[in-house]
Amino acid sequence: MAKLKHMFKKTAALFGDREKNMDEKDGNRKDNRKREEPSVPEGLWLKCPKCGEMVYKDDVKNHHYVCPKCEGYFRIKTKTRIRMVADKGTFREWFEEVEGTNPLDYPEYEEKIEILQEKTGLKEAVTIGECSVNGVHTVLGVCDARFLMGSMGYVVGEKITRAFEKAIDEKLPVVLFCSSGGARMQEGIISLMQMAKTSAAIKKHSDEGLFYLPVLTDPTTGGVTASFAMLGDIILAEPGALIGFAGPRVIAQTIGQKLPEGFQRAEFLVEKGIIDGVVERANLKDTIYHLLMVHQENKNYKNYEELKEESRERPENQIFNNDEVIESEETENQNEESNLEQVLTAWDRVEISRSSERPTSMEYIQQIFDEFMELHGDRAFRDDGAVVGGIGMLNEQPVTVIGQQKGKNVKENIYRNFGMASPEGYRKALRLMKQAEKFGRPIINFVDTPGAACGIEAEERGQGEAIARNLMEMSGLKVPVLSIFIGEGGSGGALGLAVANEVWMMENATYSILSPEGFASILWKDGKRAKEASGIMKITANDLKQMEIVEWVIPEKQPADKENLPDIAEKIREKLNCFLKEQSDKSEEELVSERYKRFRRF
Amino acid sequence: MFRKILIANRGEIAVRIIRACREMGIATVAVYSEADKEALHTQLADEAVCIGPAAAADSYLNMEQILSACIAAKVDAIHPGFGFLSENSRFVEMCQKCHISFIGPTAEMMEKMGNKAEARKTMMKAGVPVVPGTKEPVYDALTAKKLADEIGYPIMIKASSGGGGKGMRVSESPEDFEENFNVAQLESVRGFADNAMYLEKYVQEPRHIEFQILADKYGNVIQLGERDCSIQRNHQKVIEESPSVALTPELRKKMGEAAIKAAKAVNYESAGTIEFLLDKDKNFYFMEMNTRIQVEHPVTEMVSGVDLMKEMISIAEGNPLSVKQENIHLTGHAMECRINAEDPEKNFRPCPGIINEIHLPGGYGVRVDTAVYNGYEIPPYYDSMIAKVIVHGRDRRETIDKMRSALGELIIDGVTTNVDFQYDILNNKDFQDGNVTTDFIPKHFS
Repeated sequence: MAKLKHMFKKTAALFGDREKNMDEKDGNRKDNRKREEPSVPEGLWLKCPKCGEMVYKDDVKNHHYVCPKCEGYFRIKTKTRIRMVADKGTFREWFEEVEGTNPLDYPEYEEKIEILQEKTGLKEAVTIGECSVNGVHTVLGVCDARFLMGSMGYVVGEKITRAFEKAIDEKLPVVLFCSSGGARMQEGIISLMQMAKTSAAIKKHSDEGLFYLPVLTDPTTGGVTASFAMLGDIILAEPGALIGFAGPRVIAQTIGQKLPEGFQRAEFLVEKGIIDGVVERANLKDTIYHLLMVHQENKNYKNYEELKEESRERPENQIFNNDEVIESEETENQNEESNLEQVLTAWDRVEISRSSERPTSMEYIQQIFDEFMELHGDRAFRDDGAVVGGIGMLNEQPVTVIGQQKGKNVKENIYRNFGMASPEGYRKALRLMKQAEKFGRPIINFVDTPGAACGIEAEERGQGEAIARNLMEMSGLKVPVLSIFIGEGGSGGALGLAVANEVWMMENATYSILSPEGFASILWKDGKRAKEASGIMKITANDLKQMEIVEWVIPEKQPADKENLPDIAEKIREKLNCFLKEQSDKSEEELVSERYKRFRRF
Repeated sequence: MFRKILIANRGEIAVRIIRACREMGIATVAVYSEADKEALHTQLADEAVCIGPAAAADSYLNMEQILSACIAAKVDAIHPGFGFLSENSRFVEMCQKCHISFIGPTAEMMEKMGNKAEARKTMMKAGVPVVPGTKEPVYDALTAKKLADEIGYPIMIKASSGGGGKGMRVSESPEDFEENFNVAQLESVRGFADNAMYLEKYVQEPRHIEFQILADKYGNVIQLGERDCSIQRNHQKVIEESPSVALTPELRKKMGEAAIKAAKAVNYESAGTIEFLLDKDKNFYFMEMNTRIQVEHPVTEMVSGVDLMKEMISIAEGNPLSVKQENIHLTGHAMECRINAEDPEKNFRPCPGIINEIHLPGGYGVRVDTAVYNGYEIPPYYDSMIAKVIVHGRDRRETIDKMRSALGELIIDGVTTNVDFQYDILNNKDFQDGNVTTDFIPKHFS
């Protein structure tokens, strides 16, 4: 094969005579500057810290400082972060004057700080200021890991505390990019006190109804995780960021075990329900803007009419501008209902409500709302796949949307636990509802569950307590609450999302104390008589309407499926518009008292 | 003056570049992947540097590795050939930053022509005809109809997010426009949830005609005639020839001038190709510009007598063009057949393997550009083109005969090739009569 190896004559051998000529020519041309030898200018390439590959610096820059080869995240400087988030030229720094101390008289501490100041151009590990994000005014803080690992000493704690204090005075939200190894050892106990100090300031800020969004970046550990990093209304993290209280090396050494893949990474924390979600740098600014915007003071449920006016000005929303049309359609709907009633038995409806063709909560959410941003976790144990929740937009009104979520196939159903929520699912729902209450957002729940999760683990974590807590807390929510039954409404598991000002039901949804199978089994000792049981249990929407358990039956000309979902969603949207309009006139006390009375009469 | 050039490519084009360099007394550095250790370009160059594993992404597309090789070998310039990094403006930028000349246009020119919408705008501004169409999306049949009447029929209705023929309709006349528009839009709404539509004049029975141009740093631009590349399979050219039977001397002059205008519009420098669509009524429209040397460049070399490769290197060295437009006289007729290691019987599936025995044709007016030899193993990782047979005759008739004769001499034992398929085309009556459009192959061979 290597027949050709070293067989060809080299250029120099063939044209060696010409070489001399070229030299002479070059020499003769006086003006001919000496050609620069090829070389790589410094900083043209970077080594990716994740995959170790050489990458072109401009590629990294243009890719939001994410490795174009492995999608690994580079740690970035404060200046870059501000540029990434703040509108150009709007950032104004605050509290530059805060000076550090050396409470332990730790040797060479001051010198070290000075060197770092020179090297990084920063005064300390955190930079605080104000800016606008797509025009929305906010306080912005950025920690910088280059400065003693972004550790929190007096200056960091003080600046963050002042940031929240000033935010209270000026009624501003706070966005804080965390990256820190934890407390600053050189400052000893004073550093520990910063944890309490910053947390207390955040409490005050929160009590004023103001919004705080920490974004956790690589790494966020130690005392910072145990204070300001974890106290956001919504907590986001960058992909792959290390987040934890104790560092992974310490844990591995202490327990003498190898840690699982992905342990303490951002995605792991989402799965474990600790943070709301992961945000990629490409979407960072838009996400922050969206969250700031939905948490503005004027987004309160009482302002629905004004918000809707705004949305009308947007051309794509022109569909909903005639309330009268809706009224007339409603009467039509009433007729449709009565037509169908004779055709389907209660058991037919039970089967329809359980059908895998039936649209799930997420499908309704995506059809009904203009935008939906999912938020995860109960901040305690795990993100329950059986419950989805987040913030949706309806005619410019942010609403908190929660739904029990079934899967479409076996694999998804295992993750979703067939729509049977665990205690952490109810706790996630409650967390989101409390968040909605703080910001005056209406709450819309989609109910679709065979029942609450049944099992050892669910009991270990207090399934009963979790549902009970929801019933109690929901009764006192100071915002409008609406629950829509779209499929199965299984007992306490359904009620845990249904203590609402109004309850609506799809015509083929069910709502009952127990499944017909269970009912037959308990009363007649024969689960097979489920069909018969369904006939007497009064579980259909129309039965329940008569019993005043539900306010509105959403007609289904044909059982809801993928095809007719857009039409159904359209009807629900119209009706939601009326609901939000009605509720916007009510005071918080009225909402609570109406809800109390609604259940008091049973 | 370049003393040493690195060739960032493989196969016959790398060999072609090395040959040009050798003639110019410029030393050459080949780069090769682990799969190309025995390749002709690796052996023929004065030096060779391995730049990574077989996969192109890890080797011939690996900018860091290639630039490192440049620095280690202290080269003055890089020739990118075609494909791989040849139209990557970021690579051009990087070369510049590392003080290495890139033999081709600047990054800016490349970007201007690389973005289709931008290039279209530039051409319209420069007065080069483009396929008439709507610039903004249209959403309803009524507005669309008005625009369609302006553009003229037949007209193509295209969904903005369309693909694979979905959301695409041709309306023959104003009478059937509305219906076609609605059908196409409905398809788009159902298929892609998007109702944005575009209109474009339907180019009937198009030929692919491209003009070779050369431009130096001093604003001199010349054109070296056209190549007719209408014989294509899946947008891959199969046979190219020059001149095209479809062009009269007047039209050639007009299109050549348009090509020069196009190149001047972006202050182009280096060798380049302006591609046009020519419809049955001899209207021509700018399609795109290829900012590099092309596979079929020998066709032009044969009829013009200009060595495009050497000229391209000379331009990069900063020399003015060695020929003027008035010195360009195209003589005779040239044709190129691309020989691929593929099986036309099995949907042109690539057929890599070992070449047991190869005999290449020769003789007066016959040129073969290839990188394969006896015992060479064609690796499966890259393009399946293994040779180009180019012939030059007095006229088209003689050229076709010469090509048929030459292909009859071409023996490649060990791998399946498309030579017989090439024969079928050469023997086709329509081809021989010059009755070809871009759908010649689908029309006759499927």
